[in-house]
Amino acid sequence: MLDMNLLSRRELLSRAGTGFGMLGLAGTLQSAGMLTQPAHASTTPVLHTPPKAKRVIFLFMNGAPSHVDTFDPKPALEKHAGEQPTGKLYKPSKGAGFMPSPFSFAPRGESGVVMSELFPYMAQCADDLCVIRSMHTSVPNHEPGLLMMHCGNQQPIRPCLGSWLSYGLGTENENLPGFVVLSPGRPVVGPQLWSNSFLPGEHQGTAVDTNNIEVDKLLANIRHPHLDRSEQRKQLDLLLALNRRHLEQRQNEAALDEQIRAMELAYQMQTEASEAFDVSRESKSVRELYGESTFARSCLLARRLVERGVRMVQVYYVTKSGKQPWDTHSKNNAKHRTLCADSDRATAALLMDLKARGLLDDTLVVWGGEFGRTPYAQNDKKNKGFENAGRDHHHTGFSMVLAGGGVRGGLTYGATDEFGMDAIENRVHVHDLHATMLHLLGIDHEQLTYRYSGRDFRLTDVHGRVVHDIIA
Amino acid sequence: MRYLLLTTLLLVPATARGEAPLDTDWFETHIRPVLVKHCYECHSTESGTPKGGLLLDTRNAMREGGDSGPAVVPGDVDASLLLEALRYESYEMPPSGKLPDEVIAKFEQWIARGAVDPRDTPPAAATSTKPAAIDWDAAAQFWAFQPPQRHDPPTTGTPTANRIDAFVQARLADAGLAPNSTADRHVLIRRLTYDLTGLPPTPEEVDAFVHDESPQAYEQLVDRLLASPHFGERWAALWLDVARYAEDQAHIVGNNKSLFYPNAWMYRDWLIQAFNDDIPYDEFVRLQLAADLIHPDDQSSHVALGFIGLGPKYYRRGAPEVMADEWEDRVDVVGRGLLGLTVACARCHDHKYDPIPTSDYYALAGIFASTRMFNRPLTDEAEKNKDGQAKDPEQSIHVVREGTPKDIAVMIRGDVNRRGDVVPRHFLSVLEHGSPKPFTEGSGRQQLAEAIASPDNPLTARVIVNRIWHQYFGRGLVGTPSNFGTLGEAPTHPQLLDDLAARFVEQGWSLKWLHHEIVTSETYRQASSLRVDCMEVDPDNRLLWRMPRRRMSVEQWRDGILAATGRLSLSVGGPSITPSEPDEQRRTVYSERSRFQLNPMLAMFDFPDPNAHSGRRVETTTPLQKLFVINSPFMVQQATWLVERAASDAGDDPAARIDHMYRLLYGRAPTEDERTLAVAFTAQDAAEEESTDGPDRWQQLAQVLLASNELLFLD
Repeated sequence: MLDMNLLSRRELLSRAGTGFGMLGLAGTLQSAGMLTQPAHASTTPVLHTPPKAKRVIFLFMNGAPSHVDTFDPKPALEKHAGEQPTGKLYKPSKGAGFMPSPFSFAPRGESGVVMSELFPYMAQCADDLCVIRSMHTSVPNHEPGLLMMHCGNQQPIRPCLGSWLSYGLGTENENLPGFVVLSPGRPVVGPQLWSNSFLPGEHQGTAVDTNNIEVDKLLANIRHPHLDRSEQRKQLDLLLALNRRHLEQRQNEAALDEQIRAMELAYQMQTEASEAFDVSRESKSVRELYGESTFARSCLLARRLVERGVRMVQVYYVTKSGKQPWDTHSKNNAKHRTLCADSDRATAALLMDLKARGLLDDTLVVWGGEFGRTPYAQNDKKNKGFENAGRDHHHTGFSMVLAGGGVRGGLTYGATDEFGMDAIENRVHVHDLHATMLHLLGIDHEQLTYRYSGRDFRLTDVHGRVVHDIIA
Repeated sequence: MRYLLLTTLLLVPATARGEAPLDTDWFETHIRPVLVKHCYECHSTESGTPKGGLLLDTRNAMREGGDSGPAVVPGDVDASLLLEALRYESYEMPPSGKLPDEVIAKFEQWIARGAVDPRDTPPAAATSTKPAAIDWDAAAQFWAFQPPQRHDPPTTGTPTANRIDAFVQARLADAGLAPNSTADRHVLIRRLTYDLTGLPPTPEEVDAFVHDESPQAYEQLVDRLLASPHFGERWAALWLDVARYAEDQAHIVGNNKSLFYPNAWMYRDWLIQAFNDDIPYDEFVRLQLAADLIHPDDQSSHVALGFIGLGPKYYRRGAPEVMADEWEDRVDVVGRGLLGLTVACARCHDHKYDPIPTSDYYALAGIFASTRMFNRPLTDEAEKNKDGQAKDPEQSIHVVREGTPKDIAVMIRGDVNRRGDVVPRHFLSVLEHGSPKPFTEGSGRQQLAEAIASPDNPLTARVIVNRIWHQYFGRGLVGTPSNFGTLGEAPTHPQLLDDLAARFVEQGWSLKWLHHEIVTSETYRQASSLRVDCMEVDPDNRLLWRMPRRRMSVEQWRDGILAATGRLSLSVGGPSITPSEPDEQRRTVYSERSRFQLNPMLAMFDFPDPNAHSGRRVETTTPLQKLFVINSPFMVQQATWLVERAASDAGDDPAARIDHMYRLLYGRAPTEDERTLAVAFTAQDAAEEESTDGPDRWQQLAQVLLASNELLFLD
């Protein structure tokens, strides 16, 4: 339909000198529409290693779930219940001391991955799960902790993982944003968590407020407020005609081609995105599998998006009443029971659904928060015992769960000490998790760089080690 | 190959002791890369506290070994613990997995045959507590550290009235190229008006200029636009990027807005006024760094301190590592913003490429450690804290004040817990012949300001001249506007850059002089047409054989639309706005800039993230931008207004209305063909869509014209 003047090879090469690494260049040129290929063709970025995963769904439990109540059983807490923690980092707490988890733990699946009774659905996926029990991060505060988990830095001055992936790998579907963020309202920190920072603007996450799941409400500007599709086509045909006359007077001006092409893509995107973001098109049985909650709908939406080539979907577990529901400073046990019931069902449904569609093999799913919670109780004046106690922020040992995307299923990796205080065996820092995730996607974390402010920046800064042991 | 390796391996133990040592190349090829990749992370001076007390990044450290004994004993494979560890016999190193046998065999061979290791001295970073051994005289020879000088314009080719043209045309002639001819007047007035004021010319202004036969017509146009109050609005936008201007923080805990800057717009208004008044650039810089010290009594100038005072404040400020991050922001905005140097690179190690030792970084950071952010009450009535700050940020301007003067210690590898020597506050050593004088007056801020805003500073004038040039030509004479260091780009026209910078200083640092000089050049006035023969030679137009066709900034584009629809508010100054609101009529420069959440429209159209200094906007072209153009309430509203204006100005005749819309938007009349297409489009209305209650064909046409490439680009 369109007679595109594609860039000459020389011009492409000359553009290559503008400071993009070749790896990112491929994606940049492609998403800017400067390389020739049909819209659905997978981009072929310069990968450093063969990728096992092509896309990522990160299920973020905002506020930080308690590892000792979920995936890291600590019988010693029972034995030493009420004792105060000791050690360099841990002054005796003001609370009631070590607090045993009230939840029973059992090995699940053939592999025997251990999890608490709060995960009856994920238990059915046990053999696909890789539980890292030896995570640790730099600080026990939400803001820097969230930024660290997203951007590999405690200050809001670096691009996030999703932006790096978009930059490094481009998109698999030009009619959809490459990096989508699903959250009912905003999590703590907010948009900096999906910031492209100094990477080009097209790599920022497209944030979607999932409070209202209707398509028109989800995506800004996805439809003209008044015109129907055929009317708009006539309108855009006139625009195309005028733009082409303009271009004829300005031969060889590639930037004008780009604009014309972006306009046509936008028109296509309206249909494709409307369809992709419409969970009402799912069958009743599928919707029932996930559940009815906002988080469940977001998980289902995430599946629809990755299925259509979105590179990364970040799903935040945020509720109307709280930006970080997992931050259980009080009533830890009761809150974990409620939160896990919702999260467990939706997460398991997502894993099963992906698997049934053959997508789990190359879709990396990550479940976790910005850190863990203290193995000891946090109390206030009114609540003395364990009954209504909370757990405080805890960063020196916690758990994350990975599945799919080339990760070894049925594996429990690393360990904390007998109380769950510190990661002591096969420790995995957030930088290591990032390095490993990039590796699974075929990227050497040391080579995915962007020249800015006089030096090459990367997600893992000067850190990061690929955890080969968890790779299938 | 593999077979050969194995053979060698088998032979080694038997013959090793009798053989000559392997040479340095062997080490560099087979040993060092493995050490770097697998061992340095935990066992190098860079790694912090080395594991097991073992360092593997120098020869001596390796031979001395760690807690368990020597890692390498030359010639003695059995006594070398390194080998045991690699074989996973005692220690299991590296922990991520045993290395391939052939790699371990290389280490065995290397040790057996003398363990030649050229790493006699520790790496430079290990000495980061002391100023690096830099040959300052040699370092100062780098072009950017040499004072810019006037150059005689080349005399080749046609004599030129404007010195810029002489330099540009000489380089073109060398490459066998000639510049484009002068652009036509419709193009010129649109280009110039958008460039100087960020607004389109009115149809009347276009007509007057096109028909002005005076030889002074262009000069007069330039003078009129330079004198416009909208000049400052246009050029403040550049400085807001440079100054990473914002009105809030990226971190918000709860609804705590105590660290916000609700009156930051007063700094923006000060910038607009400063550009309009043509405050000399050296003074402009001094005031932004030290107005409180230079003019203690002239409080009206203190708002300029927003340059430092509106910087990011991070979560948990007060923690030493967080304050260290804030100092980096201040050093960076001064380093890259004013000097075009990536000084902040030297926070963790001596700059790898430029002569900036870590001690220089901490000498500058000390100035900001001795300076505090201050919310100065706007009125005497405002409620104050004990320290004199306004309780409510709403009732204050956001400036800086002197804190307790203190020198700070180098933080080794940027680690707040590992302090090196205390460094006196001072300016960059390379600009002070290697022996900078300590700043002793208070924080040293005023001395810093003087050192930067000095005619002897080789960078300051060049950097601002280049930033302005970049705005006009889409690319600076130095392609990296905030990095004039070794890793930045060398200037395409070094003599031109120097000549302009030197004359700029001679002209009293007058920015309006500089603008005038640039826009009156033939280089600026030439047409933007592409010539295939020139593209062959110089595809990027580095030599400026044409005026580049430029995409407008989001400010120019949105303001141009509002101007065309007749709804633009021309009042200068005032509080911030949300530019994507359909009925917001103020100029885009007044947009709130948020560190927390940048307005989605601005973010979509390549606005920089105000969490850090930005030297140039990265242009992207995305379908999401176009969805905004064709579907957003803002654009639909603008189309409605455009039709209303066309109807009221031009009456009912379709052709007259269309002509008027073209003039308002593009500064020209439509061609016959364009007019016919548009008339035909509107005529379908009655025939087809009488019953619809949506926008009529006129509104649809208006939106097409607003969405066009012609509106978005400057020829």
